[in-house]
Amino acid sequence: MIAPAFKKYVSLARCSMQNTLAYRLSFILNFLASFIGLIAMYCLWQAIYTGQDQLSGFTWSQMQAYLLVTFFVNSMLSYYSESSITSKIIDGSVMMDLLRPIQFQKARLAETLGSCVLEGLLSCILIGLAAIFTFGISLPHDAGTLLLFAFSIVSSILLKFSIVYLSALLCFWTTSSFGIYWARTSITNLLSGALVPLAFFPGWLQSTAMVLPFQGIVNTPVTIGLGMTAGTDALQLIAIQWVWIVLLWLLGKWMWSRAVRQITIHGG
Amino acid sequence: MSLIETKGLQKVFRQAVKDPGLAGAVKHLFTQRYRDKYAVEGIDLKIEEGETVAYVGPNGAGKSTTIKMLSGVLVPSGGEIIVDGRVPYKQRMENAQRIGAVFGQRTQLWWDIPVRESLSLLRDIYQVPTDRFKKNLDVFTELLGMDSFLHLSARKLSLGQRMRADLAAALLHDPKIVYLDEPTIGLDVAVKHRIRDFIKEMNRSKGTTMLLTTHDLGDIEDLCERLVIIDQGRIIYDGKLQEVKDEFARERTIHMQLSSPIPDAEELFRGLPEIQVKRSGDSLEASSDTDLSIRFDRFRCTASDIVKRVMSRGEVVDFRIDEPSIEEIIRRVYDGKLDSAALSAAGKGSA
Ligand SMILES: Nc1ncnc2c1ncn2[C@@H]1O[C@H](COP(=O)(O)OP(=O)(O)O)[C@@H](O)[C@H]1O
Ligand SMILES: [Mg+2]
Repeated sequence: MIAPAFKKYVSLARCSMQNTLAYRLSFILNFLASFIGLIAMYCLWQAIYTGQDQLSGFTWSQMQAYLLVTFFVNSMLSYYSESSITSKIIDGSVMMDLLRPIQFQKARLAETLGSCVLEGLLSCILIGLAAIFTFGISLPHDAGTLLLFAFSIVSSILLKFSIVYLSALLCFWTTSSFGIYWARTSITNLLSGALVPLAFFPGWLQSTAMVLPFQGIVNTPVTIGLGMTAGTDALQLIAIQWVWIVLLWLLGKWMWSRAVRQITIHGG
Repeated sequence: MSLIETKGLQKVFRQAVKDPGLAGAVKHLFTQRYRDKYAVEGIDLKIEEGETVAYVGPNGAGKSTTIKMLSGVLVPSGGEIIVDGRVPYKQRMENAQRIGAVFGQRTQLWWDIPVRESLSLLRDIYQVPTDRFKKNLDVFTELLGMDSFLHLSARKLSLGQRMRADLAAALLHDPKIVYLDEPTIGLDVAVKHRIRDFIKEMNRSKGTTMLLTTHDLGDIEDLCERLVIIDQGRIIYDGKLQEVKDEFARERTIHMQLSSPIPDAEELFRGLPEIQVKRSGDSLEASSDTDLSIRFDRFRCTASDIVKRVMSRGEVVDFRIDEPSIEEIIRRVYDGKLDSAALSAAGKGSA
């Protein structure tokens, strides 16, 4: 028996999943597009690795796993989840949310997680296919690493949500979401290690990235999954993810209360 | 204590002032100028449990703004507001649990999932017990005729279907108070009637208190005994619909069809105050006209007075009496033709 107060958010997640299904065709097309991006990256790195055994500590087979895991992590919480938050704010339907006995931040998290389930499933299928046909894969073999890996992925999604939510709230002070979306995406892609592993960065950029939250989205789960960080180091990275999740969640809460004042007092 | 009570309720919006053109937009980036826009200026309103109140006024009068403050979506800039013992914007969640609202221009349904699923989601959000939900859904489906579209997603609904679904969505959790902001806007007559019947039935069977804004006079006459007229953020009339009609819709027009024309019919009404005679048809052949319209003040002479006088001179084949529609009354208010002091005096008399 789930507590009724929690059940409303579970229901929201379910509806969001159903809603995502309605977009399945454009969803799949979108997915295929980013899959083509993955293949391009694959070819690019393959060319770079010609005649090299390893680069910055990555062997070619590790790099392939890196690409796959990055693809998986990046495909979670896609543009759909993000734009469903920003469009609520831009078109003013956030008012309808204020009319209901729900908390905005929790409701958005529930919806995001709902569609993440589908996104995760779909990208698992694609990655499975890719792994079989193209890639020489080296994912974790022992149960301990696998468990840490799975946990770091879940944390990565929560962390990404916190960041996306914060940037979406900025839309209260703008009239369009595109600039914010592009800025958010490029910063996240760069500093999370989604474009290039952090190990390839010059020292100063790498240490900057490590003190920012973004690395928890890609770098943490990928290096754990590849077995490059293990044991207490891995636990430490996950702990850092959670410090950021909690901090950003609270920041989001605070920013929402500011934003809500903006609409409820000044009228948008 | 009334169920809904506001005192001196105010809402000031800060509207950005921008000079025209690109230069203006750039200038606005550096020097932000704002103008205060009083959307609601001191509204005193008391609504008792079980009332159905029409809240009318021209576009931009402040109706939606008032309703948003009552439902806790907007924070008032001044004055007091208590709904069912709570301050809506301070206790937003508690207030939201007890009210329902329909904003005709927006939907609370999910676009891409079946209406039935949207309603189930609301069941969980409002924590409605399953059996009560089922009962309500059955009753609403029947009353609103929703059977044919419960399985469709909101995206596929016609406006009338969407509005009915939205109405159901707003009332599923048996709210004590329901705010309806233009619930019949753009709907055809059949759907309007259905929605009115539903609102009446909810008010009758559950005692739901309703506050509705509308531009449709049929809605007001059909649903509401009490009428609140606002203009430019102020209440200019609050009282019985019948009383505003008595006060400001005094004149009646009798249209008569005669068996043969009566020349100089005006002479007939000598001595009766404020009578206007009009012949329909071609004025050149006025003497041969058999249609006669007579306008009079119903408090200064009676219809039978007039008919009697006409019948003394000729045979009346057919007749009907017109009263001004409430639309006309409100239009006069809009046009400022009605002395607002007189109106509010009339309102006080009935309060
Ligand atoms: N969010 C807002 N920001 C600035 N002005 C607003 C806002 N909402 C409404 N107004 C202004 O307040 C006035 C009243 O609006 P509203 O309550 O929507 O009127 P009604 O519902 O009676 O047509 C209008 O002049 C409108 O321009
Ligand atoms: Mg309005």
